[in-house]
Amino acid sequence: MSERLHFEDFTLGRVFDCGTYAVTKEEIFEFAREFDPQPHHLDEEAAKHSMLKGLSASGWHVCAIAMRMLADGILNKAVGLGGVGSREARWMKPVRPGDTLRMEAEVMEARPSASKPVGFVTFDCRVFNQTEQVAMISMTPIIGRRA
Amino acid sequence: MSWWEDIEIGARRELGIYTFTEEEIIRFARKYDPQIFHLDPEAAKQTMFGGLIASGWHTAAIWMKLAIESRKKETAAGNPLQRAGVSPGFSDLKWLKPVRPGMTLTFTNEVANKVELKSRPDMGLVESRNEARDQNGEVVFSFIGKGFVQRRPKED
Repeated sequence: MSERLHFEDFTLGRVFDCGTYAVTKEEIFEFAREFDPQPHHLDEEAAKHSMLKGLSASGWHVCAIAMRMLADGILNKAVGLGGVGSREARWMKPVRPGDTLRMEAEVMEARPSASKPVGFVTFDCRVFNQTEQVAMISMTPIIGRRA
Repeated sequence: MSWWEDIEIGARRELGIYTFTEEEIIRFARKYDPQIFHLDPEAAKQTMFGGLIASGWHTAAIWMKLAIESRKKETAAGNPLQRAGVSPGFSDLKWLKPVRPGMTLTFTNEVANKVELKSRPDMGLVESRNEARDQNGEVVFSFIGKGFVQRRPKED
């Protein structure tokens, strides 16, 4: 196995490319049916008349997709030890069926734990569709320090 | 239906209770959060969590599920429904304690703040404090939610 990323590798301002994620209509429906059954996520006709003017993914679905990209892009290549939370999320534009999202995660803060061999790394996760930014989700995972 | 003007700061409601199962914790994690302590009950024992725990975003998604169910129940009971629209996001989301299979959480919502919007005079913002507590009453999850609600039309 290649050398894993440790807390020390997450220097301020470093930007990680977290790959892409294709969002299908079926997946938007599937998530919405289980967790967010509102007409603008489930019903194409009703969605046309909603504030977002068309079918869109649940904002929590966008957070879950960002988590998947953070896990694949960073945490499963690092010594990831869970997360403490999200300071802020902004759902800026609707995520539509057929969108291919990409994400970049920038290190905004890196704070070592005073008592344990770990650190807290806060990323701004910026999610884009084909043309523009659609969301910003802050995430603070715990990452192991180099021995 | 009720308007932004009718919402009272401090109004509190219980959204519902939910028991997490091992099967659904793993199913959510396979799709959205494939880290070993969310995926594999045996391997998770060797991690700092000492066992399988739910993805924090799974807990958040369950909050959304219960918020929608609660809204439907209130409508069915004939209570005035807020003219709620979309949400611009949230802040201060915290996963304070691990959520394990078999745990039952109680989710609550309390109106924390109301903000007028200069850019959208027909809408107001409502900020709410949301929490999930475990069987011992300890907070395991919290965040400040934000939602746009329609304002009462001005009478000409």
